[in-house]
Amino acid sequence: MATNPPVNEDPVKTAAPRRPGNQAPEMCLACGTCAAGCPLTGQDGFDPRKIVRLVLLEREQELIASDLPWLCTLCGKCEYACPMGINIVNIVRTLRGRVARDKVPGMIHKGVALCRQTGNNLGLPAEDFEFIITDVAEELAAEEEFADFKIAFDKPEANLLHTLHNKLVNTQNEDLVHWWKIFHVAGEDFTIPRENWEGVNWGLFSGDDEAMQLSVGRIVTHMEQLEIQNLMYPE
Amino acid sequence: MQQWYPDFFDRFGTLTVFDLLEDYLASGRIKVDKTAHPQRALYHDPCNYGRKSRELFGRGYFDQPRRVMDQCLAEWTDSQPSRGNQYCCGGGGGTLLTPFKAPRIHYGRRKIDQIKQARAELVVVPCHSCHGQIKALLAAYEVKGVEVKYLWEVVADALIVES
Repeated sequence: MATNPPVNEDPVKTAAPRRPGNQAPEMCLACGTCAAGCPLTGQDGFDPRKIVRLVLLEREQELIASDLPWLCTLCGKCEYACPMGINIVNIVRTLRGRVARDKVPGMIHKGVALCRQTGNNLGLPAEDFEFIITDVAEELAAEEEFADFKIAFDKPEANLLHTLHNKLVNTQNEDLVHWWKIFHVAGEDFTIPRENWEGVNWGLFSGDDEAMQLSVGRIVTHMEQLEIQNLMYPE
Repeated sequence: MQQWYPDFFDRFGTLTVFDLLEDYLASGRIKVDKTAHPQRALYHDPCNYGRKSRELFGRGYFDQPRRVMDQCLAEWTDSQPSRGNQYCCGGGGGTLLTPFKAPRIHYGRRKIDQIKQARAELVVVPCHSCHGQIKALLAAYEVKGVEVKYLWEVVADALIVES
């Protein structure tokens, strides 16, 4: 379960992908604009300016061993304000990717590993998924305005592929119906995959590019095999 | 997708949630009634649809959701600041999946300030992480009488359905 990503020996300052302007982190002026705009500065020692500085000094192990990369929300407000175009978000995400997988806090890597095995971050078997979705769809169809509503799983040549956020399938079933109501009234020809339906790519959060590519590839496979015309980007 | 499957875009169409909602509204495939939402509402720009989308894909989804809001809500306002300079709710980057709840709630104090400043009774978000985090913030800061809805929930609840 705790397979570590391939180790890149390059320092984070060179390994982290640059922003479109291709500015090297060495261009940082240490002005602190990033830190001033970040709502997390000061919390448990968090400070984006100091993170950039430590990475430039190749003291990244101190950051990798800390909780700091996981407190950041990768929101990009620091970068947006940065006068030098420094790749602060990718630095933090690259630091996350260097953390041993069994040290990734909370559910993030567990979900990635489950998704790799089962096709969704919950590890939910296809028959249970089908049961939940069908059950909620039948409840909606019990309302007069949506009387003939049905979910088509894996419908060939559908117009639209609709993947799902795992939390809607897990604890927030009541929020599944909003899009379904809209699709029903619009007469949309949509389909939901019975397997590999996960719409949330937690590899983005864990710094795991290989896991991200796997999830994207599964969506491409659905589109090809079912000959679907349009992909609805996951919510 | 761009990186690993660059030819995908030649073979298939891609639609964001905003493209779909706007297409349905503009083409008349759905009709909505803005009196369904009389509350004073606030729109929150998610980082990923706004400034990060602009950074990564050259396009920030700032205007489309606002046009949808115009059609589904009687009265709504922007937060200050908003768009590219907006404050993250504190639930991004997978932080909702970690055990670090106290820093996450502390992070969101600016979002609570914005909600109070706007005197909002309804916060509208097009993001699952923002939705969960803002609900958690309202509970943690004991702010009463504020509802949180998805943008597509607002559309669904404003639908004019002919039975």
